[in-house]
Formats: sequence, structure tokens, C-alpha cells
Amino acid sequence: MKGTSLGEFEELVLLSVGILFDDAYGLAIVDELQNKTGRNIMISSVHKALVRLQEKGYLKSRMGGATTIRGGRDKRLYTLTPAGVSVLREMKELRNQMWKEVPKIVWEVK
Amino acid sequence: MLENNTPPRWAIRFFEWFCNDHLSEAVLGDLLHLYDRRINTVGKWKADILFVWNVVQFIQPFALRKKNMSNLNNLTMYKNYFKVALRNMSAQKMYTAIKIGGFALGLATCIVIALFIRHELSYDNHYKNVNDIYRVYNEQTAPEAGKWTAFPAPFVPLLKSSFPEVELAARLIPYSWFNAGTNLVRKDDQVENTYEEGFAYADPELLEILEIPMVYGNRSSALSQPSTIVISKKKADKYFPGEDPTGKIIVLNDDKKISLTIGGVMEDFKPTSHLQFDFFITLSGKEFWQGEQTSWCCWNYNPYIKLRAGTDPVEFEKKMLSLKKVYIEYLIKEKNQSVDDVRKYYGFRLQPVKDVHLYSDGIGDIIPHGDIRYIWMFGGIAIFILALACINFVNLSTAKSANRAKEVGLRKVVGSHRSSLVNQFLSESILYSIVSFLLALGILSIGLPYFNQLAGKVIDVPWKEWWFLPGVIGASIIVGLVAGLYPSFYLSAFKPIDVLKGSVARGMKNSRLRSVMVVFQFTTSIVLIIGTFVIYQQMNYILTKKIGYDKEQVIMVQGVNTLGDQQRTFKDELLRLASVQNVTLTQYFPVAGTKRDMNQFWRDGKSQEEKSNGAQVWYVDEDYINTMGMKLVAGRNFQKDLASDSSAIIINQSMVKVFGFKQPLGERIMNWRTWTVIGVVEDFHFENMKDKIEPLCFVRGGWGNIAAIKLKTHKMEDAIQSITEVWKKFLPHQTIRYTFLDESYARMYDDVRRTGNIFASFAILAIIVACLGLFALSAFMVEQRNKEISIRLVLGASLQNIFRLLTDQFIKLVLISFLLSIPLAWYVMQRWLEDYEYKIEIGWQVFVVAGIVSVLIALLTVSYQSIRAALANPANNLRSE
Repeated sequence: MKGTSLGEFEELVLLSVGILFDDAYGLAIVDELQNKTGRNIMISSVHKALVRLQEKGYLKSRMGGATTIRGGRDKRLYTLTPAGVSVLREMKELRNQMWKEVPKIVWEVK
Repeated sequence: MLENNTPPRWAIRFFEWFCNDHLSEAVLGDLLHLYDRRINTVGKWKADILFVWNVVQFIQPFALRKKNMSNLNNLTMYKNYFKVALRNMSAQKMYTAIKIGGFALGLATCIVIALFIRHELSYDNHYKNVNDIYRVYNEQTAPEAGKWTAFPAPFVPLLKSSFPEVELAARLIPYSWFNAGTNLVRKDDQVENTYEEGFAYADPELLEILEIPMVYGNRSSALSQPSTIVISKKKADKYFPGEDPTGKIIVLNDDKKISLTIGGVMEDFKPTSHLQFDFFITLSGKEFWQGEQTSWCCWNYNPYIKLRAGTDPVEFEKKMLSLKKVYIEYLIKEKNQSVDDVRKYYGFRLQPVKDVHLYSDGIGDIIPHGDIRYIWMFGGIAIFILALACINFVNLSTAKSANRAKEVGLRKVVGSHRSSLVNQFLSESILYSIVSFLLALGILSIGLPYFNQLAGKVIDVPWKEWWFLPGVIGASIIVGLVAGLYPSFYLSAFKPIDVLKGSVARGMKNSRLRSVMVVFQFTTSIVLIIGTFVIYQQMNYILTKKIGYDKEQVIMVQGVNTLGDQQRTFKDELLRLASVQNVTLTQYFPVAGTKRDMNQFWRDGKSQEEKSNGAQVWYVDEDYINTMGMKLVAGRNFQKDLASDSSAIIINQSMVKVFGFKQPLGERIMNWRTWTVIGVVEDFHFENMKDKIEPLCFVRGGWGNIAAIKLKTHKMEDAIQSITEVWKKFLPHQTIRYTFLDESYARMYDDVRRTGNIFASFAILAIIVACLGLFALSAFMVEQRNKEISIRLVLGASLQNIFRLLTDQFIKLVLISFLLSIPLAWYVMQRWLEDYEYKIEIGWQVFVVAGIVSVLIALLTVSYQSIRAALANPANNLRSE
């Protein structure tokens, strides 16, 4: 698992980028996360996670999509790289595997 | 988006400043978007705050701009700065020499003063228990205020037995009193006597309190036996070289009755100790007369105590006051005297031993002291002289800026930042400063012996102390930074386009700042000059004032007491010499270091109703007044064979005044017996002129340790020769020892002379530093106006015209400084003179002379360059164009 370790927050950000496909930039991801989790998300931590994920090679980015509301400034648009896709897939499989191994009795406990 | 719907601009700027390029645009866009959203929901004010808060959140490592990695170049650049600096130095040798020389001179002065101050502050700091050691002094706050250190004999034993806080307590007699002071010394198996100074009586515990290290013997027992003495290592080496003298016996004043056994040898006193003695005679078992040790009559003992660790001195001072009742009882019982004043105004105080040297102003003891005010004064002078040196540096650097302007311009054009130019000039000035410091250390090691002589101190350069060299290097960097700060910002501010176009006025003449600095330099110098004049005038006043006696041509032959019964015959023999006019035998003279005897006097029979008046009682013979050239203003002198004169008394004018006698002759006064006034002697100065002339009276004595001889002739050497022969007849085993009265008198004012000399040296140094700067500035001015002068010369200007043209400006500045310095100097010197009861008035002459001197010096300084310019051949300067 070494090298592919992903924090919970990073995983969520990565998934949001996937959901928002082609329009995944900082503020949009913040909104997405806030809607889905109901938590208050700091914009700086999202950007921090994005920078880290790009350094790890799970994301790539390009500039584009300036609007007046942004003071004429471009967005940095993120997309998943193949490595990003596969790390998400690995995570999901790992979970599924582990879910299966939990005995049924556990789920029946209220 | 509306203009007023944007977040604070500074926040955006700030963000763009710290955020790296990768994120800056995208994040800022996000933030603005968010802001826009918020402004509709929570209002502008809150949105602004949230925006700023968001910006602050981004101050994290991931978002920050990465440092430029171009630092590798730095070392090369510094090498280049260094090279350029050296080239500049060697291209302008005169300016460099003046910059560095003036700086070094100022720094050397500063270091000397710093060392001096350090020395003064280090007094009595070397004891292990320095915070527990005190001396006790008396304080009377009214009706006649005074502080003094002498206590009656039983005070210290009482102090020790009354308070458990006192761990050790001891008494010291440092005055000339019985055998304290000076004596003739011989080993008991020899006949030859040697004169020695530095005797004191001490309790055995004093050695422990002052933590005096012993070479031989045991500190705690060295003085515990009666008739023992402890001598210093210096004296032990002199009398008993290479052996342990413990147990040996020395004889004082050739008197077998005063044979003292050496109980130990102590290390010499540190030069930074307020006490300096070579011989401690024990007080153990000593009683100077019947009942002396138990009586509160006579105040001769200085107490030193060591308190137990942790004792609060303020509390203890209060507790000590309870001992007053013993004194009061004594006064009531034995003296039948009014005790109201003692009850109300008298008390005992503690002084920490480390404060004795600098904070004893106004405390009567006979120990020479420093003065904290002089520390402040010298510290101030040091800072001013350093400022003068720094100003030279700043002035020359900015004045010569034209030469560097092109360099600055070019450096900027090829891409230098202003910060690196500032760096360059700062490192250059640090280089200057380090070179100057090295030179200053050289000057210091040459000059310090002279300063020691001047100040009467023993100060070494502490080369070996660990902090000294790092301290000097640190100081040179700091001074270099301070001096280079202004020039480096000034020089680096040139706009390349102006410089390269050639439109920066060469040298910016008459810079106002430069003028202000020259004025500052000269004001300081003139204040010092005036100070020097005033001190020398006061000195001169003291030495030439009519002092009420004639100190010229009086020889004082010391040690006459060893003649014993033959004193009288000795005097008669001397009188027979042709060169001798008069001879008197006594212990009392109006110069420091001779005996004093304070008594309380009342009008006869009024000791219970009236207050007493303190007065000196001097035992003299009938020749005293004539020998000393004193004047009787009323009545008569003692007569040799008149038996009734044994109760006659001659009083001085101030004593007449304190008693309020209208007709003093025939009045009767008493101390321990009754006297009849037979004469009044004119007031004469017998103490330092800092104090008023106090009451004093003569009664008949006729013996003493000094024979004062008034000579008729001016042939001193012949007279001394014949006196020596007479002496040899009486005491072949003892060399004659004599001093001159006028020299002893002058020695009383050594400190004034010293202060004067030190002031004079500082004034000269300040003037030199200031003149160096002025000289360089004038050279620079001439350089600037070379062409102008040449053209003027061609058009027929005379030497005078040119001279005026070039010197006017400087003379104006010096005159302004002069006007500024007058009130300053007057105020400072008035404060200094306040110490003296008898003093000069500061007259206008001092100021006029100081003004003329400073203008002349300044004129001389600038005239060299001006005259040279005026005499130069104009063709040479104009040819190139």
C-alpha cells in the first residue's frame, strides 16, 4: 500500500474531482463537499489537498474558464490521471473486500 | 462587478505578494467568487473580514513563494564589493587616510573611556560575599547635616552582641592616628630605619570580612594576639625576601615599646579596592588610653560588617537604630548635654561595600574616591567623540558620492537591486570600520600608558579576556553599520538614467545635512575647549589664591619625633644656620595628610545651656605663625617663656564668627578645659577649597613629627645640604626625609589637575577629529570648484577673493557652533564649579578666547586647501577642455 496512501479528506477531494468532471476547480469542489458531507470545508485545505494530489500524480491541471465574477481570473481545472483513477478503484476494492469479511452478525446488532 | 464591491485592495496585494504563481491566480479567482457570493448574503463588511481571513488561511508552506535559488552568486558579489572598495581606498589616499584615521582616533578614545569606566565600576566587586559586606556610617540630617564614618570604640562590639544578623564585624582606623598612617620601620635586629606609609589599625575579623587572601599565616588568627601586625606581600618581599616572616618582630619609630610580631602576610590589595594598606596593626587588646575602649567620647573607628546571607539591609538599618539609646544615655549621664537633636536627626546607615568607591559623595572619610558623576561625564564624552568620528565618515562618503554615482548607475543598469547596492555600501563601511578598529587597538596600546599617567590609574587592555576580541569585532560591525546606514541608502538611491546622462550635480554642494553635522562637531569641540579653560582657571585660582599663609620656601622635615628629647636642640641647631629664617615643630599643617583634631567648644561655663561649636585644635609652638607667614589680626602670639600661655588660645576669624564675639580678646572658652583668647589669626585654608574655612584654634604645644623650616635664601640646594648635615649629627642611621610645603599643597588638588588634563586631552582629540573632517570637506569643495576658481583667477580674482570664497561657508558654520556652545558650556561648567566653596566666576573672556581659538583652528584647517587652489596655475585645470 505504500506510495498510494490516501487520507480520508484526500479521497473525498479526489472523488469530487471525478464527480465534477471537466469543471473541477477549487471553489466548485468546496461546494460539492459541503453539499455532500454537510461539513464546513475550508477553501485553503481544499487547495492544499489539490496541490498534494497533483504532486502525487493523481491529478493533472490546466488553466481556463475566466469569468467577470472572478475578477477576470482563470480557474485551475483539475482532472483525474490514470493513476488517480486506479488509486480510487483500489480503495474501493479494498473496502468491498473488508466489508465482505465482516460477519453478518455484526450488522444485526442495533 | 461594481467597483465598490471588491474586497480590500491591500489584502489582494498581500496575497499576490506571498502566494506562489502556481496557485495565485486560481485561488484568488476562487476567493473573489466566494466574496461575491457572500456580499449578497452577509453584507460587505462581514464579507471583507471573511475575505481577509481566507487570505490569512493561505499563509501556509504549500502556498508560499519559493525562495530564489540565485544565492550562489553572493560570494562572488561580495568578492567584487571588496575589490571595488579596496580600489576606491587606494585611488583616494587622502580621503581614505582621513576617514580611517579619524575613525580610529575616535574609537581609541572611546575604548579608553570604556575601559576606564569598567575599571571604576569594578571597585570592590571581587569579594565572594560582596552583597553581604557593608560599612556603617553616621548620618545627621539637621540642624547641621553631615555624614561620616568614624564611630566610638564600643559601637562595633555592641553591634555584634546585639544582633544575630551580624556574622562578622570589625573596626578599622585608616587615619593618621597614633601609629596608623606613616611610621619608620626597622627589623628588631637592625639599626637602619625606613619610612613606610599605609599603616592602619584593624580588628582581627577585618581580614575575614574583606576576604583578604594570605600568603603566610592563618587569616582567622593572624591578628588575634595583641601587638601583632600583618604586612603585605610587597613589604614582606622587601624586608624578608624569600622567607616566611611569621613570628618575626619589627620595631616602629625606633621605639622598643612598639615592637610588633608579624602574624601573617597578606596578598597586596587589588588596585580596585577602596582600601589600600600595607600594614594592619591589630586592635586586639589595644587601649589607647585608660577607659578608651568603653567610652563613647571619641570617634575614631570605621566599622565594617558582614551580614548573614539573606538579611534585608533596609530592615537591619531600622533595627540598628535601637543602639542610639546607648549613645543618648552616655550623653545624658556623662556630658549632661541636650539630646533632642540626636533623638530626632541622628542615625546609623549601611553602605554596601561595592558602592563605597563611587557613591561616597558627602560621606566624610579620608579615603580617595571616584565619583559617579565623572563616570557619566566621561561616558557622555566617549559617545560624543564616537559621534564626531561617525559624522566624518558620513560626511565624506556622501560628499564624495559623485565619484560613486556612475558606478551605482551602471550597476543598476546591469540589473542590480537596490538592496544589493545597500549591501555593497554597508559591507564597505564595515570594512572601513574593521580597519579603523585595528588601527584603534594599535593607538590604544601606545596611548594607554599616557592615559594611566594622566588619570592616575592602572588600567590594562584586557587582551586575554575571552570577551574582549569578539566584543571589539562585534562593536566594529555595529559601528560600521551605523556609520554606513545613511551613506548606503543615499548612494544607492541614484537614478541610473540621471547619473548616466550626467545630470546629478557633482557633489551636491551645501548639503544642509552636512552643515548641520559640521555644526554638531564644532559645538562639541568648543564646549570641551571652554570646559578645559574653566577647569584650568579654577586650578590656577586655587594655586595662586591668597590662602592666608605663605607656602613658598618652606621645607617640612618629616620624622622628627624619632629625635625624642632632642627635638628642641635640633630646632635650635637649625635656627643657627645662615639660610634658615624660622623653624617650627608640630604635627599640624594646612595640607592634607597631616594631623587634625576636632573638638567641641562652649563659652566658658555654658556647656549645659548652649550648643557646642566644632573646631580644630592645633598644638603649635610660638614660631608657628611666623614660619607659616600667617597674620594675626588682633592680639598677640604665644610667648616662649610665659607660663600663663599654657592656657592661652589663638582662634581664627571663622571661630570668632561662630561664637559671635564682638571683642574676642580675653574671652574664655572651654572644651575639656578652659582657655583664654589672646589672639585672632586671619582665616587660612587648611582643607580643600571645596569646603568652607571651618573654625580652628591654636594652643601651645612645642613638639611634633614635622619640623617646618622657612628659608631666607633662594639657593634651595645649599640650604638642604646644610639641613641634612644637622640631621646627620642627630640621627646618623636614618636618612632625612623632607617635602616642600607648596608641593604638598599642590598635591591636595591633584584631582583638579587630573580632571583638567583629561579634559584637555579629550578636547584636543575632539578638535583633531573635527578638523580632519573639515580638512577633507574643504579639499572636496576645492576639487568641486576647480574650474570655477580657475576661471575666476583668469578673470583677475585675487588670492584674497578666492580665499574668502572658499572659507566663508565654513567660518559661518563655526560661528554658529560657537553661539550654540556658549549656553551649553556655561551650564555644564557652572554645575562643576558648584562643588567648590571658593571658585572663580566664569567670565566672558573664556568664551571669547575659546571662540577665537576655534575660529582660528578652523581657518587654519581650511586655508591650506584654499590657498593651494588660489595659487594653482589656472591653465592646468582648464587645459583639458
